[in-house]
Amino acid sequence: MFRNYLAAALRNLSRNRLYAGLTIAGLAIGFAAALLIGLYVRDELTYDRFIPGYERTYRITQTIQLETNKAIHTSLTPMMLVDPLRLDFPEIAAAARISPAYFPPSVRRGDIVVAEQNFVWADPDLFKVLPLPLLAGQHAGALDAPDSLVLTQSAARKYFGKDSPVGGVLLVDGRPMRVTAVLRDFPSNSDIPGELFGSSRAPRSTVSEFQAINSSGNNTLATFIRLRPNASVATMLPRLPEFIRQRLPQPPGVGAMRRSLQILPLTEVHLHPELQGAFNAKPPIDPGIVMAIGAAGVLIVLVAGINFVTLMTARAARRALEVGVRKAAGATRSALIVQFMGEALLYVLLGGVLAVALAELALPAFNLLLQRKIVLDYVGDPALAAVLLGVFLATALLAGAYPAFVLSGFRPAATLKGGLISAGGGARLRAILVVAQFAVLIGLVIVAITIARQTLFALNEGMRVDKDQVVLMASQPCIEPLRDEAAKLPGVRSAACASATGLSLSDNNDSMVFAGRTVAMNTQGVDFTYFDVFSVKPLYGRLFDRKRAADGPSADNTAAQPLVINEAAARRLGFASPAQAVGKTIQWHGLWDESLRQPSMVLQPRRGSQIIGVVPDFTLGSVRQPIAPTVFAVGRNLPPDSVGLIAKLDGRRTPETLAALDGLWKRLGGGRPMLRVFLDQFTMRLYIDTIVQGATIAAAAIVALSIAALGLFALSAYTTERRTKEIGVRKAMGASTSDILKLLLWEFSKPVLVANLFAWPAAWLIMDWWLKGFAYRVGLAPWTFLAASAGAVAIALATVFVHALKVARARPVAALRYE
Amino acid sequence: MLKLENVSKVYRTTEVETLALNEISMSAGPGEFVAVMGPSGCGKSTLLNVLGLLDTPTGGSYSFFGEEVSGRSEAQLTAFRRDRIGFVFQSFNLIDDLTVAENVEVALLYRKVPAADRRRRVAEALERVGIGHRARHRPQQLSGGQQQRVAVARALVSDPSLILADEPTGNLDTTNGEAVMTLLTDAAAAGVTVIMVTHSLAHAAVAQRTVKLLDGRVVSETLLAA
Repeated sequence: MFRNYLAAALRNLSRNRLYAGLTIAGLAIGFAAALLIGLYVRDELTYDRFIPGYERTYRITQTIQLETNKAIHTSLTPMMLVDPLRLDFPEIAAAARISPAYFPPSVRRGDIVVAEQNFVWADPDLFKVLPLPLLAGQHAGALDAPDSLVLTQSAARKYFGKDSPVGGVLLVDGRPMRVTAVLRDFPSNSDIPGELFGSSRAPRSTVSEFQAINSSGNNTLATFIRLRPNASVATMLPRLPEFIRQRLPQPPGVGAMRRSLQILPLTEVHLHPELQGAFNAKPPIDPGIVMAIGAAGVLIVLVAGINFVTLMTARAARRALEVGVRKAAGATRSALIVQFMGEALLYVLLGGVLAVALAELALPAFNLLLQRKIVLDYVGDPALAAVLLGVFLATALLAGAYPAFVLSGFRPAATLKGGLISAGGGARLRAILVVAQFAVLIGLVIVAITIARQTLFALNEGMRVDKDQVVLMASQPCIEPLRDEAAKLPGVRSAACASATGLSLSDNNDSMVFAGRTVAMNTQGVDFTYFDVFSVKPLYGRLFDRKRAADGPSADNTAAQPLVINEAAARRLGFASPAQAVGKTIQWHGLWDESLRQPSMVLQPRRGSQIIGVVPDFTLGSVRQPIAPTVFAVGRNLPPDSVGLIAKLDGRRTPETLAALDGLWKRLGGGRPMLRVFLDQFTMRLYIDTIVQGATIAAAAIVALSIAALGLFALSAYTTERRTKEIGVRKAMGASTSDILKLLLWEFSKPVLVANLFAWPAAWLIMDWWLKGFAYRVGLAPWTFLAASAGAVAIALATVFVHALKVARARPVAALRYE
Repeated sequence: MLKLENVSKVYRTTEVETLALNEISMSAGPGEFVAVMGPSGCGKSTLLNVLGLLDTPTGGSYSFFGEEVSGRSEAQLTAFRRDRIGFVFQSFNLIDDLTVAENVEVALLYRKVPAADRRRRVAEALERVGIGHRARHRPQQLSGGQQQRVAVARALVSDPSLILADEPTGNLDTTNGEAVMTLLTDAAAAGVTVIMVTHSLAHAAVAQRTVKLLDGRVVSETLLAA
């Protein structure tokens, strides 16, 4: 019996090669896309599980509320936090810090010189907290010596060309550091920052250098803890408020501040995009977005399943005679159900095998796009194999059930007489399924377009600043001759040295007093020409002028210096218009001057500074957050304290100008490696996740589209074939080719149009939620909805056009003889 | 007035060439009821298809109410069909997905008849064939005789000059067959040319003239009634 079934199934498959091929192709494409999406989702949700004992490892994060400001969630902590934590919480087995190197140090070995962006400073206890898998050397004592350095395998290969250069020496900003251990490369789903770990005991590590400003107000680095076995965070939480009160006293100068600490499992850090200053290897992602991408994968499988059901039932009438014969020969309904379910399983398994092959082919490109190292190992990964098999079986069961019931339900008398085999309910179900398919498709297209629009907006108008043709040249410090000579180069309109705050790489808050009110505002130290570089014009008043000595800071950083504020600051201070603000004096502590290394406990007393101008709101940071009320002042020692040179080019002879800038760096850069980017490329880093999401959804939409088009193509072939008689009758009654064509095309457009009723509200709700994550965002544009629908209709029509035209042009006599 | 002169129809496949109609000449005037008889495969249906402009002859000339139709485009043939011809098929050829009334309406849809007018004429036609009470039913819900009456109503509703009926009683019992014949006779009496293919001598007897075909040729013409 089974052989007979299999023979029937295989012959049916080979007799209907086109339909079988389309059915299996639809399943294969759907499964492959869903498999890749599934791997991506798993990758996002399983960060840092490669670290032994990750279940006991946590990162400390903070929530800080500064006076009138919104609460800030940050994953950066004060450097002084680690010791009191260890002392006060016996639950903690080990604690360690990783501190960013604020600016890429120059790392050299022989001819290899790199502005190393993956260099971090780490405490000697790091590997007690994070026992990262080793390739050479050992954890114990690896970071004890001040000149010790631990590399990952990639870094070892980069500088030494081998995997275990233990004992080798690298020059970090000219000072020798010795390699003590080599770590295995981290998987792509790791949030541990860095590939070169210098000991924090090094005299010039950011930990040592900032020792002087070791206050509870300076949040500069990441703190990790590992609990003892059987210890629990639950016992620590109730004691945290008291710990904060005693150990993290109110820092001066920032006004009233409320602070709380969170103990976040290491594996969850990646899923908290609200954490600012995230010092992570990978941009964090909203779990909702991961779920949305996962949902896109589920929808694709749904679309492929729907396709399968549609095609199988559409072809059902063709099998009617076989059903009649089998039933007449005594087959029970359940036997036929088993037969047809088995057939469904055959299709699904063929599709599944093809899907795995497709996914494997696509994986390298997928990894490249997402910057991952995802592997598809269905042999060595039993969980994956089980899920794959489960999905295949479930699809076969769910999608195979309906066709099996329809087919097995045919009455033998009717089917053998070759009489009317009507699947009226079947037709309705097919229509519903086609509607569902197109609803998914239209929804995905709207989502993809909206994400693309918002990303473009965020990268361009959203920042409200003209950063076109602005070049950023990393240079710490940016020295005056470099700036002044750059400004004189042909093709350079304006050049300025930029501080970290000026580039929105870090921020400073100061509590200021105006009209008896205290408000916290952002402060930025800028160069005289900072606003020129970004073509920012004052709304009222004037900007800083190098010719006016009083515009600059005084040598001892104590004198009052004039201020430029942005519109948000003017509003925060209570001015109704920019004009009202100009000329007023506010009390503040002066710019945070890093070059003085002044401990923040010893703040300058507040002094009055006059507002000389108001500029429009703009940001070089992410538009997820609203533009902060900001006070600009010319930074003292800005050149030595700056992190880069910014230059606005006229865009007329860009290659020559860039070459000239590079030449300037060779001459004045002190032999350090050059790091030069256009600012719009630089800001793209803020939206990598958004770009990835958009690309993923767009790809999902394309996959859903191709599956739906495959299905519609086959369905139209079937439907037009089934309606040959009707079309013959209509033509006999005088319908012209165009009448028939219109009839058929309209019939296929209807489900697509109905799909809008479901797709539009769903897409609207989802994108409305998504866009709310941005302080500055595009509106939901009606044209995107119309375009997605028009596109879907156009594709539906193009797909069915060939069949419709063929049958519409057929001579009616041929159609009527068909019966 | 219909006039066929030496009309031939050849079907060609890769292997076989079949002469379905062999130089047939015949004519029929307004209000004339012609029966076409002959054994299976003699070319009756092909003749009906040619007469109904569903198929074009390979040779000869066909004057359709004074207009030569050979060499006309498909669009022009469609227009003739739409304006002048009604069909009744042996297998009814009703559209399953449409109601009885909608099936009849199909004959008017392509003639740009206003909707209200269409409804009135459909109702009248259904009353005429005695099936007005089933207007909202689907074809599957009717008996064969009822279905054929719907098909006749569809042929009549457009007030055609010519009704072509291909074994309209072939699938019907005697009572229903006679009812359909009455409808066709009434139509002829009203001035419509009716050409009917039939196997039934009794039903052929109702016609004024019988044309007998054999192997694609006219072998006899009998005038039965004046």
